[in-house]
Amino acid sequence: MKSKKILTTVLAFAMVATLALGCSSKETDKSNEGEDQKKSVKLVFWGGVPADAGPQNVVDTWNKANPDVQVEYNRFVNDDEGNLKLDTALITNQAVDVYFSYNVPRLQKRVDAGTALNLKDFKDYDIEDKMGPSALDWKIGEDYYAIPTTKNVYMIWLNDNLLKEHNLAVPTAWTWSEMQEYANKLKTDKRYGLVQFLESYADPMDSILSQFGETKADGTSNLDHPGIATWLTTLNEMMGTGATAPLGEQLTSKMPVETMFLKGEAAMLNAGPYIFRSSNNLTENPREFKIAFAPVPRITEDPAEHKQRNGLGDGLTINPKSKHVDEAWAFSRWYADEGVMLMAAGGRVPSSKDVDREAAVKLMIEGVEDLYDVDSLQNVLFEQENTFTRKTPQQVLDLRREEYEKFFIGSQQLEQTINNMVKRHNDYLKQ
Amino acid sequence: MIWKKAGLTALMLLCAGLMILPFIWMFSTSLKSPLDVFQYPIRWIPDKIVWDHHIKVWTGEESFVLYYANSLKIALIAMAGATFLSAFAAYGFARTQFKGRELMFFIYLSMMMVPPQVLFVPKFIMFEWLGIYNTHWAIILPGLFTIFGVFMLRQFFMKIPMEISESAFIDGAGHFRIFFQLMLPLAKPALATLAIIDFSWHWNDYENALVFLIDPKLYTVPLGLKNFILEHSIDYNGMMAAATAGIIPMLIIFLLGQRFIIEGISSSAVKG
Amino acid sequence: MKNNWIKRQRLTGYVFVAPNMIGVLVFFILPALFSLVLVFTNWQFGSQSMNFIGVKNITRLFKDPVFYISLKNTLIFLASVPISLMLAFIVAVVLNKSVYFKGLLRVLYFMPYITSGVATAFVWMLLFQPSQGPINGFLRSIGIENPPGWLATTTTSMFAIDIIWIWFMLGYFMIIYLAALQEVPAELQEAAKMDGAGTYKTIRHVMLPMVSPTTFMLLISGLIMTIKTFGIIQAITQGGPGNSTTILSLFVYKTAFSYYEMGYASTISWALFIIIVLITAVQWIGQKKWVHY
Repeated sequence: MKSKKILTTVLAFAMVATLALGCSSKETDKSNEGEDQKKSVKLVFWGGVPADAGPQNVVDTWNKANPDVQVEYNRFVNDDEGNLKLDTALITNQAVDVYFSYNVPRLQKRVDAGTALNLKDFKDYDIEDKMGPSALDWKIGEDYYAIPTTKNVYMIWLNDNLLKEHNLAVPTAWTWSEMQEYANKLKTDKRYGLVQFLESYADPMDSILSQFGETKADGTSNLDHPGIATWLTTLNEMMGTGATAPLGEQLTSKMPVETMFLKGEAAMLNAGPYIFRSSNNLTENPREFKIAFAPVPRITEDPAEHKQRNGLGDGLTINPKSKHVDEAWAFSRWYADEGVMLMAAGGRVPSSKDVDREAAVKLMIEGVEDLYDVDSLQNVLFEQENTFTRKTPQQVLDLRREEYEKFFIGSQQLEQTINNMVKRHNDYLKQ
Repeated sequence: MIWKKAGLTALMLLCAGLMILPFIWMFSTSLKSPLDVFQYPIRWIPDKIVWDHHIKVWTGEESFVLYYANSLKIALIAMAGATFLSAFAAYGFARTQFKGRELMFFIYLSMMMVPPQVLFVPKFIMFEWLGIYNTHWAIILPGLFTIFGVFMLRQFFMKIPMEISESAFIDGAGHFRIFFQLMLPLAKPALATLAIIDFSWHWNDYENALVFLIDPKLYTVPLGLKNFILEHSIDYNGMMAAATAGIIPMLIIFLLGQRFIIEGISSSAVKG
Repeated sequence: MKNNWIKRQRLTGYVFVAPNMIGVLVFFILPALFSLVLVFTNWQFGSQSMNFIGVKNITRLFKDPVFYISLKNTLIFLASVPISLMLAFIVAVVLNKSVYFKGLLRVLYFMPYITSGVATAFVWMLLFQPSQGPINGFLRSIGIENPPGWLATTTTSMFAIDIIWIWFMLGYFMIIYLAALQEVPAELQEAAKMDGAGTYKTIRHVMLPMVSPTTFMLLISGLIMTIKTFGIIQAITQGGPGNSTTILSLFVYKTAFSYYEMGYASTISWALFIIIVLITAVQWIGQKKWVHY
């Protein structure tokens, strides 16, 4: 009897809750429609950066200046799942007007799906002129489908105090073996010389492939280029001596490389300017040392043969099915030349030549200038020559990663690693 | 006897420690400050207890209240519907005779084996056509049908002696009366178990919500948890605070359901 | 008179099964058939062109080394199901009658099933940490000098995943067993004890046969759930190191959600489907030997 009562109560509760929630959600829908009927146009803007790291500021600034075009920011997580969500929203024609494509292969897919607007009809903005020759990497076929709004920068963050302690200069150009020497000198039992984000782990590989070609003249994989073997061996040696974190260790302890560097548990960090958000926050990441910057080292001996992964990113894309394409374009233009400045504090480097770069750098390190070596930062951020944009398809990134992981954790020899990578890459190319 | 029981209890409690380790980490992380998350060895009791993350879950602009309400709505409706519909079909498969019953059941069962990732494209084409894409119904409606539930309850119904039905037949009862008045009460432990499991599925369902819900106002808890994934790191403190609160409804359902499981039929109705 | 009954019964049978059947037809069978069509195309998710390419996806599958690796990993993964089932049965029997704090203990054993997957992944990674983790610390303290690398080496990672999965499924299996044990009439248990049968014998000859339909159901559905799962592996290792923990479902997931190759993803899925159907069919035929209704 008693249990029957409980059951009835639960069911009744379920019903009431359902009805209540059902009604309330309908009401909110209606109020939204009411807003839409006002004269102002509403744009929905999807991006991968958390709202409070800049985008909210961007949107608020725009909305204040443009009462007739109100923009609403919707954040998606920029991983496979988040992009899948964005793509389903685009395909099913849900509310998306402007969005970010964070790399070229993704943009390519969107072009194929007809969910990225060809920008050739907008004659009032010359992307190449504004963004420089690196913009060419973002061309798909003959046209642009996105405005690349930021400059990707990858750099080595250096603990300047430790460098001084060991009488090491801040390098302005160097090779991996030179970095290895630095790391060897800087490491202790409790400190790694260098730590890296997994995302930029394989950059040296892409640097080599972008210089010497992803494939050879006969169309087969170029992954057996000697430079790649050099990278594999060098990094592997560094892991063996504790100059850098062994990959197995890094994977299995979910190593927070950024925190480690800021805590002084690693002397050098391979990362982009996105670290500024943490490194500027001295309450959450207290530190006393100064940070200096060096470019990512090269594998090749000859500096002329080296390319930096400093191409363009954050491709602002318009949904062709948007009802307000012109407003979306106006917003995009403004974002690329002005709005993006508000993202600098969150660690993004604007790419448009209209942006005052020194001001952007100032914003990036505002309030904690004393704890950075500003000259080396300027030097690294605006190095323009010999850049590449990573356009490697996810399949290739994955197959390479699987093989070099096996190498770094010691379950596969160098030769076999390279053979496997080449074979799997060739299989991929054949499809 | 008492010593044996006490000894077993102690042993089981010890093992239980391992079962709740991640939960303890979850709760303690939700009370830590960001820097302490990665301290090693793990500090189970934080040096300084910070309630901020919990406060943020319940108040302010990024509060989770809406997500909890959405999840609760979906999970409760789907749970109630699925439990009932499964019982209904399970009775058919277990206690009635019809042509092709076994084969039909096997085909039915085999549908449980199709990996969900490939079903989502046809499903969303269908949902768009039905006009329920980007509404909670896109999750609730398919959630009403659980093959596992039918399978599980079928096994329970088959176990109930046929004599019970036969004597009811002789008394003039039809299948519907037998189902509602005899079988449902008898299957209470199984129904409660299914309800618990079904609820936890829907409560934790991430993939369907990911693909079928676009409007942030409709987001469920697992989708909301993704907000804590920042660009290059994860806000573990906030995420664990939201997740800790997220298991409360499941605990309530479990505790409520458990009463029905223990009551059991051995004590009640099998006399007939 | 009797014929009428059976005829009416037939109809009622359909009536009972129909509502659920319609739902399954709409939400499972039709989409499944659609995905079968995709096997013969090179359709990319979202793409506006779809070409029929015959059996190319199938030949590609048979040549794909990752398919064979994930197949092997899947089989190792499946081995965790019977082990977890056995442990869950023992725990259920103990928690059914012979301990104090039954209610509390049941909740505790069910906790893994409702704890956040991220927390689960994080804690197990730290427990298995090869150099400083407590598991290897314990192994070293009992004299094992070279404890396994667990999640950090390609040879042991799948077994570490198995252990985590056993841990995870235990509570889930346990509560279903608990429900099933309630159907073992107390009188039967008493009777067995009166006959002088010991605890072990009561469990072996009374309880085990009584719950065999549940065991059968749990074995089949547990294998199916296991073969379909990937979330926990995605959270812990993303299929690595190398591809040592890539199981078929994770392979499908990556192909579909990351590479958008829907045609190929469908092909792998259908291969996976055939494997599960075969495993299930064998058990279905074998059930007569040990399942007592």
